[in-house]
Formats: sequence, C-alpha cells, structure tokens
Amino acid sequence: MPAASNRIIALSALLCAGGLADAAPATAPAAPRAEVLHWWTSGGESAAVRTLADAYRAAGGIWLDTAIAGSEQARAVALSRIAGGDPPTAALFNASRQFRDLIDQGLLNDVDAVAEREHWSQFLPAVLLDTLRVNGHYYAAPVSIHMPTWIWYSKAAFRKAGIAAEPRSFADLFAALDKLKAAGLIPLAHGGQAWQDNIVFRAVLANEGGADLYLRILRDRDPRAIASPEFRRVLLTFRRLHAYVDAGSPGRNWNDATALLITGRAGVQIMGDWVKAEFASAQQNAGRDYGCIAGFGPRSPYIVQGDAFIFPKSADPQAPRAQQLLAATVTSGAAQLAFSSRKGSIPVRADIDASTLDYCARLGVEIMKDKSRQLGNDEAYLTPDQNGAMADVLTDYWNRERDVAQVQKSIAAALRD
Amino acid sequence: MTSVIRRRAPLRAALNPAWFALLPMALAAVVVYLGSFLWSLRISLTGSRSLPLHDYVGLAQYQRLFANDRWLHSLQNLAIYSPLYLAGCLALGFLLALLVDRQLRGGGALRAIFLYPYALSFIATGLIWQWLLNPELGIQQAVRAWGFPAFRFDWLVDQDHAIYAIVLATIWQGAGLVMAILLAGLRGIDPDILRAARVDGVPGWRVQTSIVIPMLGYAFATAALLLLTAAVKLYDAVVAMTQGGPGTASEVPAKFIMDHLFGRANLALASAGATVMAITVVALLAPLLYARGRAARVRA
Amino acid sequence: MSVTSLKSMDEIRLGQLFAWPSRLTLEAWRAAWRSACTGVACEGIRGGFWNSIAIVLPSTLIAIALGALNGYALAFWRARGASLLFGLLMLGAFIPVQVLMFPLVRLLGPLHLVGSLAGIVLVHVIFSMPIMTLIFRNHFAALPRELFLAARLDGGGFLRIFLQLMLPLAVPMLVVAAIMQATGVWNDYILGLVFAGREHLPMTVQLNNLVNTTTGAKLYNVDMAATLLTSLVPLAIYLLSGRWFVRGIAAGAMKG
Repeated sequence: MPAASNRIIALSALLCAGGLADAAPATAPAAPRAEVLHWWTSGGESAAVRTLADAYRAAGGIWLDTAIAGSEQARAVALSRIAGGDPPTAALFNASRQFRDLIDQGLLNDVDAVAEREHWSQFLPAVLLDTLRVNGHYYAAPVSIHMPTWIWYSKAAFRKAGIAAEPRSFADLFAALDKLKAAGLIPLAHGGQAWQDNIVFRAVLANEGGADLYLRILRDRDPRAIASPEFRRVLLTFRRLHAYVDAGSPGRNWNDATALLITGRAGVQIMGDWVKAEFASAQQNAGRDYGCIAGFGPRSPYIVQGDAFIFPKSADPQAPRAQQLLAATVTSGAAQLAFSSRKGSIPVRADIDASTLDYCARLGVEIMKDKSRQLGNDEAYLTPDQNGAMADVLTDYWNRERDVAQVQKSIAAALRD
Repeated sequence: MTSVIRRRAPLRAALNPAWFALLPMALAAVVVYLGSFLWSLRISLTGSRSLPLHDYVGLAQYQRLFANDRWLHSLQNLAIYSPLYLAGCLALGFLLALLVDRQLRGGGALRAIFLYPYALSFIATGLIWQWLLNPELGIQQAVRAWGFPAFRFDWLVDQDHAIYAIVLATIWQGAGLVMAILLAGLRGIDPDILRAARVDGVPGWRVQTSIVIPMLGYAFATAALLLLTAAVKLYDAVVAMTQGGPGTASEVPAKFIMDHLFGRANLALASAGATVMAITVVALLAPLLYARGRAARVRA
Repeated sequence: MSVTSLKSMDEIRLGQLFAWPSRLTLEAWRAAWRSACTGVACEGIRGGFWNSIAIVLPSTLIAIALGALNGYALAFWRARGASLLFGLLMLGAFIPVQVLMFPLVRLLGPLHLVGSLAGIVLVHVIFSMPIMTLIFRNHFAALPRELFLAARLDGGGFLRIFLQLMLPLAVPMLVVAAIMQATGVWNDYILGLVFAGREHLPMTVQLNNLVNTTTGAKLYNVDMAATLLTSLVPLAIYLLSGRWFVRGIAAGAMKG
C-alpha cells in the first residue's frame, strides 16, 4: 500500500517536526508552506512535479510553485535570492558538487532528522549519497535518477538498413552505423551543442574505457590516466563517431535529433532518458518502435545523474518544518514511483517495486541492483568549473581535427584545479 | 559623451539647478555602477566560486583568463562581430529611415513592420534562424530543391562562418531600432528653424549640410554607441542560435562571463572577464572622446 | 514563425520548414494562452499579463522622465563634474546585467526592495538610465544652443525651459525612448525573476518556461504562438506610436 505508507511517512514527518495538524486544529500552527524552485516546466516534467506537489498537499503542506526553465537559469535565480536574503524554501539542484559552496558557507539547513528516521543510507545508491551527505550531514533530498548516456535506436531505420540484432559492443555499433549510412540514412542523430557532445564522450568513456578509467579520469583527475593509451583510444573512438553525423548537426537541439529517429530518417542517438518523453508524445513505444541500450556488455556501468532539493537557511522560523516535510514527501516510495513514471527517470530508492515503469526504466532499475555498475555523473566528481573547462576542450575536439596528444594535454590542464 | 563639448561663458547661477535634477543619475552612477564595478574588481582578485568570498589570490584569475583559449577566441570573435554589426545596422537602419521618411502615407505601418523584429526575443526567433540556416532544413535545402544542387549556405554549421550568421540575425533585429532613432533625429528638426533658414535665403544644400546632417550626426552617434553596448553584451542571439558552437567557434565574451558567473560557479573568473571588458571599453573610448573634446576646445 | 505556430507537432517533426501546413490549427495558440504547462500550473502565459503591464508602465514613464531630465541638464546646464558622472554611467551600459545582479541584490536586499513591485521598477529604471540619458543628451545637444540662451534671456527657469520648450522638441525621441524601454522591460524575465517576487512575476517568465526547457519534450508550435502572443503588446505600441510621428512628418516634408 504505497499511498498509505506515503501518508504515514509524511504525517510522521509533520509530527516529528513539531506540528500536530490533525490532533488539535484549533491550536495547530499554520500548515507548512514551501516555496519550491525548480526547472521542470514542459508537459511531462510538469505532470511529474505535480505529483510531488499533490503528495505534499496530501501531507498537509502548502506548495508554492516557482518554475524557471533551464537548470542553469533556475540555479542562478536560486543563488541570487540566497545572496539577497530572500531564499526559496527549497531549490532544485543536480545531485552534484553544485551546492558544495553553499554547504561550506553554512547557507543550507540539513535534513538529518528525516534522513536518519527514514534510513536514507540504506536504500540510496552510494554515488548519490556521496553528493548529498557532507561531513555526516544530509543537505539535500534526492528526487530522481536520470541516465544521460543511453543509446537509442529507431527500429524502422534498423529494419531499412538490414540490421537484425541490437549492437552489443562498439564494434557492433560502428558496423550498424556503416549499414545505416549505406542505406542512405543519417547514422547518428546528434545535436551538436557542447553538452550533447559531452554526453557522447561520457558514453564512450564509460563503455569503451570502462568504469575504472572513468573514475580515474573524472574522480581522481589522474594525470597518468589522462595521458594513458587507453584514454587515447577513448578519445579516438569518440572522434570516430563524428564521421556518422549529418551536416545539419551543429547547434541542433536534442529533441530535433530525436525527431529524426521518430520519423525513421536517422538510426541512433546517444542521449539521456528524457528522450522517452519525445517518443511518447509521438505515440511511440519502447521495444516496439524504438530500442534502448544502457551500455555494452553485462558489466556496463549505469551513470547516475541525480536531481535533488536543497534547503536554504532563511529568516522564517517555520521554514525547517516545511523543508523536512518536503524531504520526507519527495523521497517516499509512492511519490517516487508516481514521479518517475511521468519524468522518465528511475526512482532513487532501491527498495520499491518498479514493475509499473516502462521497459527502459525497468532495464535501468535492474542494472542499478548491481552496486559495482553504479557510476556518478561527471558533475558528481568535478566542480562545475572543471567540468565546464573540460567540456570546452571536448566540444572543440569533436568539431575540429586536432592532435589527440594535444587534446589529452588540454584535458589535463582543464582538470588541474 | 559623444557630443562636441562647447566652451562658452558658464551660466552664473548661485546654485546650478541642474545638480538637483542630476541627483538620481549621480546616485545611480556612483552607488550602483561605480560601486558594482569596484565590487567586481575586488571579487576578481579573490577565489570566489558560487558566492562572493574574500580570499584574495592576487591576479591569478587574470592569468587564468588570458591562458584560456576560449576567452581569447571570444575576444577575437567580438573584434570581428562588432564592426560588422555596427556598420550593418547603421547602413540598413539609415536606408530604412530614408525609405520610411519619404513614404508619407503608410510610413507609420512600415515603421512598425521594420521595428517588429526588435520586439521578438531571440529565445524563439533564434530557433527559426537555426532552422533557416540549417543546411539540411532551411535555405540551402530549399534552393537545392529548386534546381541548384551546388548551392551552399551553411554558415551556421561552419566553424569559420558561424559568427557571420549571428551578425546577419542581429542586424535583422537591430536595424529597425536604428531606423527609429534616425527618423526621430530627422523629424526632431524644428520646422521653424528650417523656415527661418529659408526666409534668410540660405540655399537648400546649406540647410542639409549645416542643419540636417549635423543633427543626424548626433542621432548616428546615439545609435552607434547603443549598438556598441549591445555588441559588447552580445549573448542571447549566440545562445539561441549556436550555443557558442560549432565547438567554440562562435563564443563571445559576454557568454564566457555568464557561463562562469552561475553555471560554472566561478564568480571570480567571471568578474575578471567583466572587468577586462569594462577597462577595454574605457581604453578604446576615452582617447576618442578626449580627442573630440580637445578639437572642440581648439575650435572655440 | 507564424506558419509553425499553425502546424501540429507531428508535421513539424517532419522538418519541412517551408511547407504550408496541411491542416491549419489554432490549437497551439489556445494552448499557449491558457493551457500549456509551465510548472505545476498549466495555465499558459496569460497569468503574468497584468503583472507585466504593472511593471512596464511605471518603469517606462519614470525611466523616460529621468532620462529626458538628465539629458537636458547635461546638454545645456554646465554642472561641474556632470560629464564625468555621465561617462561613468555610460560605462555601466557595457557591463552585462547579470554581472550587476549580485551586487544589486546585496544592495537592495537590506532595503527590503527585493521581491516587490517597487524593487523591480527601480531596477529597470537603473539599468535603463545610461541609454535613456544618452539618447536625450544627444538629442538636446543637437539643438542650436541659441534656442536655449534665448529662453534664458526671456527669464525661463530650469524646469520651465525643460517642460515648455525642450520636451515638445523631443517628441519623436520620446517616442523612440518609449519604444525601447517598453520593449526592453516587456521582454525581460531574468530581472523579473530575481527582483519582482512571486506576486509580480511578468508574463515572460511563463514564456521562458515554455520555450526554454532543456530536457523536457518541446512543442514548437506552442512556443511560436506564445512568442507571437507576447510580442503583440510591443507591436501595438509601435503602431500606436506612429501617430506621434505625424508631427514629425510635417517637419520632414518641410525640408524637401
């Protein structure tokens, strides 16, 4: 009974936070009010965030919605408002190092009470936990896990190109891309924007380089790993993919690339699981019209790109109560399932039954059961600044013939603090 | 700033009333603009990340800035962009102004039509430009389909030409405003002055050269300065059309600053960039204005 | 753009940019105005319409009044140090607004001006002051100085000369200033987000939420319709302001 348990969790949060909402309405303090700042604004996102708002309302809270499209933009407004002394009750960030400075400067409230009561440490994946828990305190409530490096393919395009089996390795993938090209289709539908170039790079790093190299590069920023022949091979494979994009690729939005798959004009796209929303709005189904590959081989990693609410300190003495209720509500099993099914992500909890989710999401949940296959997203290890500097190098390399050894040097320089 | 400074006998008023009128401006200039500039300057000497800190690191951010390929490339792009954008907008705006000025009937409607691009934010029109200039979707594809298979128009996706595509789109957007400013300059001429000149028997060409053109000179100066501020702050169009790409081919300084300000949480580096831009503008404009001021004094 | 707004998403996905829609539909326009999702709410962009009006009117009027006054004072009244101040102000016009946002938020925060209508209007007035001052200063500087001196000899004071002589001579420039300022304020959303507060968010915040989503499904037809809808107000201003140029046309005809 997920709905009921949700209610109980939320209610207990309310009680623990000092409220007695149902028991004595006459003397009860006002319902907790939370102004929630987030960047979920489009159709599917909107439906997803509404499930959270509804759950919060059901738990006795008042949800004031401040939606700002574009994650950077939303974070910019959150930071400005925190600096100006007028912070929202909760703000969406990526579960990453993006809010580490805020923690260091003592600007966030922790939600230890909720996290400990609910035993977050037992069901949250370690890579996610590491971004939320700093010096033993929990500073954010996770909402969703996206996987940025899925490989999507159009079944119609594959049929037309005579590709029978799903690629299981980079060799297979290149063979398939060649066949697509021969069939006169766009082999790789790619949106040539820096962040999308970087997603392709991460897909190659995780699958061709492997989890170990991935961590040595992104987490350890190990100069020897960056200079290694293995990493060189990753960079060459990454650049080799460029031969399969069409002339219209630069600057293209990711959804326009997905439209090429939907209409069967292109074969493959490497992109996060949010593309499912585009397929869905064109009435296409996973497994029937398109396929999804999380990675190559039984040990392929699953990259965790988490979203989480942070809770700025404010002058309002009621804020912590509203924040704790929110933290409890959004992480509850029922809210997680309802949210994930609309958002296209997978739940942050490993302890709930995900059989109602779509085919690709279930694949993801299955992989996540093996802890050794969980990897953090680049932003979980790198500061936003390091990450951006590396993105600049990679997008430049993707778009222009460059000596690989030089690129390795530039990456080493970008990651050197 | 751009006008001729005339030296005549100062108006002898015990207390210049202009001072009271200029008080809000003085507050804005000193407290907000000078204050913010000094604040940015200070932050640029620190290691501030998401939020301002006071851990001074000397000129380290400036060293990092000028060791950064993307920043240097951004400056280069701005040097290409600004003169083309200015010249293009002024020329097209002037042509439109002449066209509308001659058009006694329907002039107002024409003016509104030419101005309309100015009202549309780049968030959405950028997408249309992206499509139009996309070789697979837009103009190139269409012209090829009409029977010119060799036609090439792929600026937007070409590393060497993407910045020119942005020039094109921003001129389309900015020319209408220049037209409006020049029209106002043309029409701000008091009919009495012209009538007086005619009564005095001043020939028509003299009216044009000594009254109309100087007057337009000021309007041109206004427009040019306005365009220059827009060029230095160029951001929206780049984000909407290329996101700085392909690769980093169409990056501009304002985008570098903005990316580091929030997304990359490096307030100090962003502040260093903003300070460099401000100082560059002063270094370029101050001698120009000083020279003009001197010339005016010599004449007087 | 208009064509795209009249197409269905299925047609847009085909990528035939110049093709006329096979079936015209106003669905996107309806959705943009009142049912497109922009967060928890799905009320289109209409929500912020009156907020936008409430921000644009005072921001435009005050900014123009101050700009004209500044320009007049700078052009005709030689106040010591005024040119330097003006230079400083113009320098501000070259700094991206976002760079100024942090210091401004810290400045206005303690004055309780962040998150109010007064706050957002003040911010718009401050950010537009360099350009508004510039256009009026140059406009007045282009007028023959004898005009001003004659008025002084007739005993005109600071304000009387401004209101009775100079403002009427600046009507075309007033129109241009109104066009610029109203358009700029109308299209702003980033300042609105930071300084206006939840109760006064302008319409463009919802427009941005529709158009600028990063990882959500995109509805280009609704985006285009919403953009065109939002631009109707500036367009109306451009058309109406034409009336004020009639006076100017008479002047323009004179020189022919």
